[in-house]
Amino acid sequence: MADDRRSSPTEDVQRLYEDAEKRTAQAFEEVVSRGSFGELLARMTENVVGLTKIGTDAFDLILRNLRLAGRSDVTRLARQLGRTEDKLELLLQEVERLQETLEEPGQTGRGSGRRSTPSSRGNRGSSSNGRQRSSGSTRGSRASK
Amino acid sequence: MNPVEQLARTPRAAVEFANILLTQNDAAVGLSPKDPVWTHRKTTLYRYRSENRKHQVPVLLVFALINRPDIFDLRPGNSFVEFLLSEGFDVFLIDWGYPEEEDSEMGLEEYVCDELHWGIREVLRASGQDEVTLLGWCIGGTLSLIYAGWQPDNAVRNMALLTTPVDTHGSLYGTWVAPDSFDVDYVADGYKAIPGQAIDWANKLMKPVTNYWTTYRRLWEGVLAGQARRAAFQPMARWVADNPPFPARAYRDWITSMYKENSLVRGRMRLRRRRVDLSKVTQSLLVVTAGADHIAPPQGTKPLLGLVASEDVTCIDRPGGHIGLMAGSKAREEIWPDIVQWLAQRS
Repeated sequence: MADDRRSSPTEDVQRLYEDAEKRTAQAFEEVVSRGSFGELLARMTENVVGLTKIGTDAFDLILRNLRLAGRSDVTRLARQLGRTEDKLELLLQEVERLQETLEEPGQTGRGSGRRSTPSSRGNRGSSSNGRQRSSGSTRGSRASK
Repeated sequence: MNPVEQLARTPRAAVEFANILLTQNDAAVGLSPKDPVWTHRKTTLYRYRSENRKHQVPVLLVFALINRPDIFDLRPGNSFVEFLLSEGFDVFLIDWGYPEEEDSEMGLEEYVCDELHWGIREVLRASGQDEVTLLGWCIGGTLSLIYAGWQPDNAVRNMALLTTPVDTHGSLYGTWVAPDSFDVDYVADGYKAIPGQAIDWANKLMKPVTNYWTTYRRLWEGVLAGQARRAAFQPMARWVADNPPFPARAYRDWITSMYKENSLVRGRMRLRRRRVDLSKVTQSLLVVTAGADHIAPPQGTKPLLGLVASEDVTCIDRPGGHIGLMAGSKAREEIWPDIVQWLAQRS
């Protein structure tokens, strides 16, 4: 038997609409996949970047002349802080390495991320930055940002 | 529903529709309890709380530098993290945070050779184990792969790479940014941190009608029919709209090495003067691709299978989109069990 159920006009409209939307979506996807669209996008991006730079530079100049700290000053300070944090992290790793060498003279540290043995690691941790320490006690709090 | 009934419901549906959109940013995401284990700059390593750790090898989740890793733990009942924990895994997450202009010097080298490298070290410390499983998604998968190729003597036992771009030749994104007409240096110099909204806009532009119209049309129809799933729509919409900036140097590195030079598959990528050699990747490897993925299409991921030295390689190819595959409503039944089974056999 053929399909007895006939679709209602509303369903027909809905189906036609969905077909049209699907075709439109495919057409748009074809448009954006062209190299020429990529070039257009690249130019548009450069224009936006250019405008943003002009605006930001002008605003920074105003703030500088008013003797106020601007975004660039905050960024510079934050960058210095980041570099200090890098040095601190490296220092901590070195301390941990030395500590491990002292505690277990039979084993030599091979650097971070190594395949260390469970006995050398266990629940050991470093002294700060939220790491847990060995020797039973847990010092310091969880790391916080 | 007849037209008269539809008309009568419209005012109420309009209010409901507006309410769903206007309150989506208040949706709770990433609710599974976790503790920070280690922080450095904007990066934080978290460990999820669990009293059911059966498997020895911990799992480190690595997400992309765009969007937030909350997608791993979208909402209770539909959380991959929750699923992993319930299956007895010790789960860690490396969160890249919200980089700002001061992080403009953070490049791929810093993310792979420092943040990820140190993060793995801290996972080993916290878990007390020798080895770790890396589970990377999107760029996070590429970072994991780069790490394994850059540091062959590593503690990574297994790698699961989900919808990961590897060979970008012929990809849509490559069509846009690989030609010389796209001056990545100008963009990276102009913005110290590329606005996340710009990246999101570009991603949505790949399927403009679907992303800017069909999603909302379907929501409207659901609301009108009284079947809208607010609890499912809002967390995903919030996650999609939550776009951290992309540090300028990392953006420059990513576009140049992955799209302009395609250097990962060509074996020419170098980090800190050391070559990223995929032929030295020997870990057990799970590669998951999504058939309708327009950001990391399967043909851009599968070349990896012929480049690595791993003897234990599994490839799962499923229908679905870049994100929908892992975070869609069917993921819990259709893909998570397969991933967990693969992990369980190797953990």
